[in-house]
Amino acid sequence: MSARRAATINYPQVARIIGWLLVIESLFLLLPLVTSLIYGEKDWIVFAITAASTAACGGLMALLIKPRSREMGKREGFLLTALVWVFFSAFGMMPFMLNDNPLSLADAYFEAMSGFTTTGASVIENTDTLSHGILMWRGEMNWIGGMGIILFTLAVLPTLNHSGGMQMFNAEVTGITHDKIRPRVSQTAKDLWMVYIVLTTVLLLLLWLGPMDFFDSLCHAFSTISTGGFSTRNSSIGDWNSTYIDIVITVFMFLGGVNFALIFRTARGEWRSVWRNDVFMTFLKIIALYYVIFVIVIVWRGECTSIKSVTIDPLFLILSSMTSTGYTVSNFERWGTFALSMVFFMMFFGACAGSTSGGAKIDRLLYLNKNLRNEIYRCVHPNSILTVRVNGVVMSQEVVSKVIAFLCLYVLTIAVGGAVLTAAGLPLVDAFFSTFSCISNVGLGAGVTGYGGGYDLIPPVGKWILSLIMLIGRLEVFTVLILFSPGFWRK
Amino acid sequence: MRIIVAGAGEVGVHLARLLSQEEQDITLIDKDAEKLRAIDSTCNLLTCTGNPISFAAQRSAGVENCDLFIAVTPYETENVIACEIAKSLGAHKTVARIDNYEFMDSANRELFLRLGVNNMIYPEYLAALEIKTALERNWVRHWFELHGGEIIVVGVKLRDNARIAGMQLKDFARQEHNFHVSAIRRHHQIIIPRGDDRLEPNDILYITTTSDHVDELRDLCGKRAHPMRQILIMGASRIAIRLVNLVDSHRFKFKIIEMDRERCIKMSEKCPEVEVVHGDARDTDTLRDEGIADMDAFIALSESSETNILACLSAKEMGVKKTIAEVENIQFISEAENLNIGTIINKKLLASSGIFQLLLDSDSNDARCLALADAEVAEIEVKPKSKITRGAVKDLSLPRDVTLAGLVRGGRGMLVGGNTVIEAGDHVVVFCLQGALHKIERLFN
Repeated sequence: MSARRAATINYPQVARIIGWLLVIESLFLLLPLVTSLIYGEKDWIVFAITAASTAACGGLMALLIKPRSREMGKREGFLLTALVWVFFSAFGMMPFMLNDNPLSLADAYFEAMSGFTTTGASVIENTDTLSHGILMWRGEMNWIGGMGIILFTLAVLPTLNHSGGMQMFNAEVTGITHDKIRPRVSQTAKDLWMVYIVLTTVLLLLLWLGPMDFFDSLCHAFSTISTGGFSTRNSSIGDWNSTYIDIVITVFMFLGGVNFALIFRTARGEWRSVWRNDVFMTFLKIIALYYVIFVIVIVWRGECTSIKSVTIDPLFLILSSMTSTGYTVSNFERWGTFALSMVFFMMFFGACAGSTSGGAKIDRLLYLNKNLRNEIYRCVHPNSILTVRVNGVVMSQEVVSKVIAFLCLYVLTIAVGGAVLTAAGLPLVDAFFSTFSCISNVGLGAGVTGYGGGYDLIPPVGKWILSLIMLIGRLEVFTVLILFSPGFWRK
Repeated sequence: MRIIVAGAGEVGVHLARLLSQEEQDITLIDKDAEKLRAIDSTCNLLTCTGNPISFAAQRSAGVENCDLFIAVTPYETENVIACEIAKSLGAHKTVARIDNYEFMDSANRELFLRLGVNNMIYPEYLAALEIKTALERNWVRHWFELHGGEIIVVGVKLRDNARIAGMQLKDFARQEHNFHVSAIRRHHQIIIPRGDDRLEPNDILYITTTSDHVDELRDLCGKRAHPMRQILIMGASRIAIRLVNLVDSHRFKFKIIEMDRERCIKMSEKCPEVEVVHGDARDTDTLRDEGIADMDAFIALSESSETNILACLSAKEMGVKKTIAEVENIQFISEAENLNIGTIINKKLLASSGIFQLLLDSDSNDARCLALADAEVAEIEVKPKSKITRGAVKDLSLPRDVTLAGLVRGGRGMLVGGNTVIEAGDHVVVFCLQGALHKIERLFN
């Protein structure tokens, strides 16, 4: 009896902080509200209702719940971080359900979760039917989720500036080890958000200078820098057919795939840290390698129709897949199956940790690669001491084994998720591909979901499962899966 | 403030945690990444793996523009060199922990200032001072003098026989105007009491009073002062040597029991007027042979906290009135206090409280801080036009975990009651639970 007692988790404090976070979400909802008002759409009522109810629920939770202690341990940190994403999506889906072309519950939740986790998979077939307000909200969801809900809150809520905030920071920020750039977690969060906001603004201005209008520029700035991939047009970036936009987007997808702490250091003038950073250098090398492969494939298949088709197009696709943005180029299908299989590889490992991109992260690829090399060498020289060195520091075997455990869990999640989806009636390939696409937060679809096509053909059960899988992918497996382990709840 | 702590030993970690809770920007440097990992994931601070005496490591920790550099690695030479490097790289103020009394000598001060060490902390010396106070004021658990003895904070354990046991605090305040019950330690918790709280037997009360009324307090709590003369020390540690050198040899008569022969000889060489016995103080027969029954005080200063606690307990059973134990495990302190061991000495707490004091001094509001295990007492100067001067204390709606105990105005100490109006220039004695100090500091600026 006593052995199975529930662990003491400070639920009131968790609920109270979620309340505060929902109040913040309601403030974010004001942007689409204003957009709707500017465009004279009646959707503003939808956003007003959503914002008001979010603020009311959040405010009540924040003010009425009086926790006896404000202590936040590891358990509370994990629970809170995972729940915040669930709650944000639950309130963020309301505009999709209340507007003129209402989505079903499963569809709306899928769309919202896909937005916040920057997956960019959409159940909406035709974006032309959407109002400006809704389009803006989709872009903004990408933007908030890209850097992280918790990280934003850490920057603005002083109450979280203690060790409890630390736990949440660790649970949300991606990567194996977490780069703190300043002593206090709130300052770190502020600096990272500052980098994010500056990049977004620069991108917005650059896009606006091109053929895009302000509205499209803002939406695309949001979804590009966050590597989310929601677009305002059906045929995505291809709709503009502009080389300038392709180049700008490519560059910013690249920046969205770089560790933001590294960008911050570079901005402060520490250029040397860039070249010394093994992960970043690997990122560059992988891009170069894929570029060569793609050019060969394109030329070999006779698709080399213009200079753009061997320069911008492959780079655009490589960065779009690696950083999990999920924008596609127009003639990708003609590049053949081999190119598609290359895309799988890129989607799996994604870009650098600490960026807004998804996937298993290049950091882990690096660890895995170095460790594998050591293991193979050790077969012949069993007594040699070999270490995994990253950025000039020897990593302990514990860190390496955690990376391997992560990758096992990651693959296992894809396998189980895919199997469950086939039970829900999806064809084999689609089931696995959509799981894979969701866990790495890319949002590309194949087969029934088809390139450029939506996820709307998947049955509701499948959408709920995929929503969960997107969350698992965004919070890097452990934060979510630990909630399903009995040890978390038991003493 | 940007503070860099070099050395993630027990003092370093305790200090870093304490300062981080006070909302300072802390960077902790240590050679050992393992030591840093635990604190990095739980505390709101930055860690940096590297040798504290390496220029590169200090630079990467951002020593160029830090306000305070604290070196608390286990080796004093390393600490001094680390401070030297830090100062040359641009740290504003440096503190080194040392183990050598010579370094503290004012004649050598000049040299260390030249080297770039602004302050030195010598935990053994602080511990010896603490023991000396405990022997002189042997009826109390804690004795703090603030502002040159104008205000005195006394920690005293309440027995069943005390007159005030069982009294509600508001009745106590009505009856006795010269005392302010500022904090109560009950079981393992520190309470900042309100009018409805009762004074229960076995509580440790922290009472603030002025220097003229201390003797009344002793009677009130049912205590008597025992004249101290014969003192038995277990363990010829550095603290013991410091203590013996510190106090007047005519006033106290020390006897030291030490297990290690070498150390016995060293002790007798350094302190000729002290009687040194080679033996095991854990053995009751040895204690009896050395006349434990006639001893006025027993001080346990061996390396093991557990041994010290148990030795004090058996000394108490054999009739020693006052026992003092060195307890280095911070977790054991509250347990030991519940076990009726008179005074607990902890070098880490003393060192961190000493550094804390330096820190607050440099923070320009002339505050001095005395860290208890989980509460703080600070003396803060009131700035003109600060919030705290806006009305009587009872109307200020202060946070619940803070109380104002006393103040010094024009060099005279007085207590703070509900109707007191605080004026600019007063030095106010504040009690607060750990981590709450920064809340109150705003009110004073």
